[in-house]
Amino acid sequence: METEEQARNRFQLELEFVQCLANPNYLNFLAQRGYFRDKPFVNYLKYLLYWKEPEYAKFLKYPHCLHTLELLQYEHFRKELVNAQCTKFIDEQQLLHWQHYARKRTRLQQALVEQQHQAQQQQLPHSNAVAK
Amino acid sequence: MRSARSDANMASSEKSTKERLLSTLDDLEVLSREMIEMLALSRSQKPPQSGEDNQVLELLVQRDGEFQALMQQAVEQGRQQQEMLRLEKELEKRDSDIQQLQKQLKEAEHILATAVYQAKEKLKSIEKARKGSISSEEIIKYAHRISASNAVCAPLNWVPGDPRRPYPTDLEMRSGMLGQMNNPSNNGNVNGHLPGDALAAGRLPDILTSQYLWQSTDVSMGMLPPHHGNEFGPGHNKENEDDVEAMSTDTSSSSSDSD
Repeated sequence: METEEQARNRFQLELEFVQCLANPNYLNFLAQRGYFRDKPFVNYLKYLLYWKEPEYAKFLKYPHCLHTLELLQYEHFRKELVNAQCTKFIDEQQLLHWQHYARKRTRLQQALVEQQHQAQQQQLPHSNAVAK
Repeated sequence: MRSARSDANMASSEKSTKERLLSTLDDLEVLSREMIEMLALSRSQKPPQSGEDNQVLELLVQRDGEFQALMQQAVEQGRQQQEMLRLEKELEKRDSDIQQLQKQLKEAEHILATAVYQAKEKLKSIEKARKGSISSEEIIKYAHRISASNAVCAPLNWVPGDPRRPYPTDLEMRSGMLGQMNNPSNNGNVNGHLPGDALAAGRLPDILTSQYLWQSTDVSMGMLPPHHGNEFGPGHNKENEDDVEAMSTDTSSSSSDSD
């Protein structure tokens, strides 16, 4: 039986650990040291799925880790993580995805600015006509 | 006068009305013939045979009586036959009514079963929705948290070379509770202790001053993890915290934030 203090600490540790899984380099590290071949470790990964529940998920700062956690449930994925190329690829894709919304937003902003310009240009000749 | 029933009863011990009628008629015919013969004879011949013609007369009367009775019976039977036919017709009508009702009941049952099934499905989905309901305020708060810290969307001025990432970096991992666990010199000061090199590099304060730390000690004060009773495997330590620190020195990192 663990005390409340211990449980709180465990909460902290598990929170940190599950978020570390979002780091592809860390995944490569773990894979190369054979942790993913360890059955208790695999069971622990399954146990960590509780972070998907809303009452726990709201503490996650890096939600990418949940996706990785889900993928980690599959043995094939765990095996592939030993390759540095694989994790490099994951890292690149993750970064690109991360930048996706930023790029989309800049595009939208540019479009909006253009629209405003056009609207202004249309207004000017009209107001001139009215004044006359 | 022919009763269908009596035809069917040919094998019964009692003779059918038709047979009896016919036999009585035959008797009558025979008797009346005899009577007439006797009368004819008695005309041509003098000595009367009184005994016989009385007998024959009596038999005749008797047979006639029988015949009348049988006729009555036949009429009665005919009436009953009509009644039976009438009842049979009514039976048929009732039968068809019942079948009609049966069909309608079946249809109604089918419709009701469908309605009940759909209602149950609706209830199920209502239950599901109710279970998964989260206050919109909380969702917005959370969305604000993860967006403000650039955890799910890159900062607008991000260029390759920027150390910020959508996951905790080596530095963050080392400075967290997990990373501090196996560092004996830091045991007194777990949170907020700055590794010397990171401070020198000048990058750490940026992370630690963010409103929402990824370790979230203040926010999660009351939160406890689910019980697991240490059943992951025989005598293994599930997290190898010492390796969190060792990692950043070993890994050949593809990201450009390595020292």
